[in-house]
Amino acid sequence: MNFKKKMFGWMDMLRFKKLVPNRRAEFDKAPATKIPDTYKVNSIAKILHPGNQKATLTGIATETSDTKTYTFSLERKMFFRAGQYVELTAEIDGAVVSRPYAISSSPYKALREKELSVTVKKAGFFSNWLFDNAKVGDEMIIGDPSGFFHYEAIKDEKTVVGIAGGSGITPFYSMAQAIKEGSEDFNLILIYGAKTEKDIAFKDRLDALASGKIKVVYVLSDEKNDKYEHGFITKEIIKKYAPEKYTVMACGPQAMYAFLDKELAAMGIGGKRVKKEANCVGVRDVKKAVYTLTVHIRDEVYTVKADNRETVLVAMERAGLRVPSKCRAGGCGFCHSKLVSGKFSIAGADKRRLADLKFGYIHPCCSYPDSDMELIVPAGLE
Amino acid sequence: MKKYDAVVIGAGNGGLVAAIRLLQGGAKTLLVEKHNLPGGFATSFRRGRFEFEASLHELNDFGAADNAGDVRVLFDELGVTDKIEWLQIPEAYRVISREEKIDATMPFGVKEFIDKMESYVPGSRESMEKFFELAEEIRAAQSYSNSSNGKTDTKVMKTKYANFVKCGSYSVNEVLDALKMPKRAKDILNAYWCYLGAHCDDLSFVHYASMVLRYITRGAAMPKSRSHEISLAMVERIRELGGDVWFNTEAVEIKTEKIVAESGEQEENQQKYRVTGVVLNNGEVIETRHVIANCSPHIVYGKMIDNVDERIVKEINARKLAGRGFTMFLGLNKSADELGITNHNYFLYDTMDTVRQYEVMKRIDTNCVQATVCLNRAYPECSPPGTCMMYFTTLYMSDDWAKVKPEDYFRVKDKVASMMIERFEKDTGCRIRDSIEEISVATPMTYARYCGHPEGCIYGYESQYWDGLMPRLLMMAEDHKTRGLRFAGGFSMRLSGYSSAYFSGDITGRQTVGDIKREG
Repeated sequence: MNFKKKMFGWMDMLRFKKLVPNRRAEFDKAPATKIPDTYKVNSIAKILHPGNQKATLTGIATETSDTKTYTFSLERKMFFRAGQYVELTAEIDGAVVSRPYAISSSPYKALREKELSVTVKKAGFFSNWLFDNAKVGDEMIIGDPSGFFHYEAIKDEKTVVGIAGGSGITPFYSMAQAIKEGSEDFNLILIYGAKTEKDIAFKDRLDALASGKIKVVYVLSDEKNDKYEHGFITKEIIKKYAPEKYTVMACGPQAMYAFLDKELAAMGIGGKRVKKEANCVGVRDVKKAVYTLTVHIRDEVYTVKADNRETVLVAMERAGLRVPSKCRAGGCGFCHSKLVSGKFSIAGADKRRLADLKFGYIHPCCSYPDSDMELIVPAGLE
Repeated sequence: MKKYDAVVIGAGNGGLVAAIRLLQGGAKTLLVEKHNLPGGFATSFRRGRFEFEASLHELNDFGAADNAGDVRVLFDELGVTDKIEWLQIPEAYRVISREEKIDATMPFGVKEFIDKMESYVPGSRESMEKFFELAEEIRAAQSYSNSSNGKTDTKVMKTKYANFVKCGSYSVNEVLDALKMPKRAKDILNAYWCYLGAHCDDLSFVHYASMVLRYITRGAAMPKSRSHEISLAMVERIRELGGDVWFNTEAVEIKTEKIVAESGEQEENQQKYRVTGVVLNNGEVIETRHVIANCSPHIVYGKMIDNVDERIVKEINARKLAGRGFTMFLGLNKSADELGITNHNYFLYDTMDTVRQYEVMKRIDTNCVQATVCLNRAYPECSPPGTCMMYFTTLYMSDDWAKVKPEDYFRVKDKVASMMIERFEKDTGCRIRDSIEEISVATPMTYARYCGHPEGCIYGYESQYWDGLMPRLLMMAEDHKTRGLRFAGGFSMRLSGYSSAYFSGDITGRQTVGDIKREG
């Protein structure tokens, strides 16, 4: 063929020769104004994903005998979906320790007043330290709002039946405030199980939030009281309060999920209609053995001991290594590490990506060591 | 102080390939990545029982072992092809455009493509044949240019590749008009335009034709375990070759110093500064004379380097950020058969007048254009039996998202997701909304956060008439403005897209190996 656009081929060829001078000329014409160091969309992204930031403890409130709310003043604005959690990091006896906690304050509070609260149940190393040592004025670090335990307008029904067990009430308390302030828009029927009346957290505030969109039902397992439902959260109780169409969101201990799963199955409810918040991986019940972990972080190599009843992540943290963690439930993948050698078992379902299995990557937060192991781990918090 | 021959900043598609090329060239190499995962956009994520592909629709120019495309040849040379399990995409695309009432499904294979076009647009055959003939000459010219490392002989170009030179300065529409292609055939052929993100009056014909040819002659491929499989395979290869890869490690500064010209030395490209090191987020300084930045020059020169010459500032200000990304991922609790989703790859447009379409894509409330993939149509087992996965991508051709207030952000995100679903349902007749089990939505804010690109653009610098593929390739040496600093990825000389980013890493990696040999 003989391609021709202009009358003569040489004219098309000449045009080709001008590509370079044309581009130079465009450069010449441009202004020499300073290149920005940020952009509008990036600035909004920084509010949605502010990254790790300094947070000053401004208040500690006792909710129940074993639950406290810690309120922080943030350095930077934050906006999140009610129901999400943050990772809280503190320096404890020279070691940097982090845990995920559900946010108990409202999204607009964090956006407009840079204020964020987490509600913590006294249950382990970090929470014990918080209960015994944390005081107003302390500085800690708060990470990005995370997790997918929030309302999803596109797929969820207009009404959410929230099933809360014990401190599992926290994300729902944030959701209730969010509905009230207008940052979330759905109907919430909250069925909240606690042991006794005095174990109910946020009661006066939840009652005050009750409206056409929010209803709270309390269910006490260990106390008979005419004001409340009694027993476990059964299908009968759910049916009594739920409308015809609804989505179930549940947050509570593993035992509650086991019971709830049966009740929901009996009602024929599952799949897309049920969302459960994951719990942190704990210790496993096996005969104790101690293994050696060889850990590569950047160009450093560390050798640490690992108790096989605890996760690989905990072993690294106990040794004082700064390693990444976030959900501590195997799901977020933030601790994604390359396994060079060794055997391990995963707590619960394997939530890794397919290619991770193929190339030998593990999530240390949900993996228990079954032998000596060698790992390449990303650097943790600076 | 730690010392490396070269530091690669960013483990995106360009950075990963560049690192392998550096190591193959004998350079002691450090790759730093601010995230805990490699790949940049080339990754995947899990939601419930689904693992979503984050960005790859179909890998262009890969081909099969017996019909290898340039990307497969590159992957063979890198030593990664066999680390990845590949699938072939069944057909090219289905394009639906409302204004022209087009609903065309196009196959792979040149003959098949031309025949199908003739069935939709009788009388289009001759112009289609010419199109592919011209595209083939473009491919040959590009291959000659690559083999001579960009230093082409003008005589050879003018004699052997005269048609390439003659069409090389024109836009898609200018050339298709010269080929006297019937309008409807042009409309169907231009369906891929959104993959390059510039309308067909702006987009370089050479760029477009070369891409279409590679799709149609070689088909398209997909790694079985999503693009995360490619990214991990590359990291594996880098470590095999003795390279260091540090995740959760952000390069915050590139240190430079003024070049003191030795007597008689001619400074190439009026370079005034040269690289001396990289500062990491933990304060550590890595000594190196060579950096490959797999990120945007806007970010590098905007906040990572102190010594920025005025000429560089002007050049950056001259350029236009390309499309800002939006993707919705759906995990559906019914199979593609049950939902009536028959195709792998849909392009849905309001109009095939790409100039007008481009305008519509400037606004959140008007843009419903989408490139939508149902991965199960290429790989039925990619999700559990009785389910399927889809992802819907669009581009915004302005900063409309910058006007969204943070408090409205989640609502706007849901509104756009809803518009995309509605458009898909109306144009294809498939009902999907009630079957959504998992949904995840990435907006320009997500992309801005994840890769740090200005305004959440995912396509690098737009392929404008003056800043298209040809002038960028012709000016590669001239664009090398700071000695020891080269760019890879979607903002660089090959423009955006998976294949282009891989090639940019190949080019810059090899160029830097040459720099190291010359300069140390």
